[in-house]
Amino acid sequence: MGMSHLSEEQLDQVIAAEKARPQEPLNEWRTIAARAREEGLIQDSREWRGSLGQQWLQAAAAVLLLVGGIAIGRSTIGLPTTVTSQSAAVATAANPSTAVPANNNATTDFVPSSSASFASVDQASAALDRAVQEYTRASQYLAASNLADQTRDSAAFYRARAEALDQIADAARSALATAPHDPVLNQYFLATMGARAATRQVVSTAGLRGF
Amino acid sequence: MPIDQLDLKRAINGDERAMQRLWSQHAPHIDAVVRRLCGDPELAADISQEVWMQIFRALPSYRGDSQFGTWAHRIAVNRTLNALRKIRRIAKLETDIEDDSAMTEMDSDRTFIAESIEQAMNKLSPGARAVFVLHDVEGYTHGEIGEELGITPGGSKSQLFKARARLRTMLAHLVDDSPTTKIGRKGNGHVASV
Repeated sequence: MGMSHLSEEQLDQVIAAEKARPQEPLNEWRTIAARAREEGLIQDSREWRGSLGQQWLQAAAAVLLLVGGIAIGRSTIGLPTTVTSQSAAVATAANPSTAVPANNNATTDFVPSSSASFASVDQASAALDRAVQEYTRASQYLAASNLADQTRDSAAFYRARAEALDQIADAARSALATAPHDPVLNQYFLATMGARAATRQVVSTAGLRGF
Repeated sequence: MPIDQLDLKRAINGDERAMQRLWSQHAPHIDAVVRRLCGDPELAADISQEVWMQIFRALPSYRGDSQFGTWAHRIAVNRTLNALRKIRRIAKLETDIEDDSAMTEMDSDRTFIAESIEQAMNKLSPGARAVFVLHDVEGYTHGEIGEELGITPGGSKSQLFKARARLRTMLAHLVDDSPTTKIGRKGNGHVASV
């Protein structure tokens, strides 16, 4: 057998064949994915949806509370409100006997129960949402009723409330730095910010002195 | 190969499907260079995992200045060479190339040639194999190889010359005079079957 050497050209042919040869991955995806999941490089799709949902919930709650706060401010100084649900809150404050819930469905669906147990996260979340709506309406009512008993120039009253709300907001903000996705803390924070906005609206619109 | 920017963003944010698409698209080429540099398939599989972890970790730093495949390929080469250095393969002495085992008959010429070159490359020293793979297969320049391996361009050229000479000897059986010739010989009328 006359075996000695490949020519340079023949070696190049072999190399070209090697380069063109289709090759399979060395690992299966599930092996790579398991490692990536361990390192936190892969996020569970449920976490993704939850995270996105949480952001939308926060945005919706912020809008609700801001609008509610403005409504309280306008209603407590006798200005007309523009949102139906806010009108309902004002009417309730002015004459509790004619109280009509701003959201009938939410009210009728809400069954307060200290011993309630929940079968799923969705059920608990829905109950929490209903509770937030109730809380918001109750806050609006109380804010309006509260004001009826106060004189319009009661700057000390609003100053005390604003200071207290600032402290609550600071505490809630600190708590959120530790647990940014906690729904309960987010609701505390947003509710506080809404009440703060309402208080400031009252103050700025009524032109209270010494605030 | 162009990469879907949306997939890239999703992969950065931990979307498994987007990450899998990146992997599916590029793993054959990325894993091939790891396999060639390592020689040992089991070691290559382990290093390939590390390579892909590093690619996914580094995704946020990918700015699109080069093709994604080029960027990932560079990570693969760096990571593989680092791993080989750690296990001191680069410093290992060249194996005795005369210890050539007999080839068994393969199912097809293509498989025969592929396995022949794999076996031959595995008989090169790790340093010579790295230079050969990076230059002749992956298209790196001697300057780039010098930077990767910490040697001079002249050293890279020297290693390549030796590697090619040894491969030509080890692969001589591909062009013997028997009726089962596997590769074309210049001027003998055979058509290369590669």
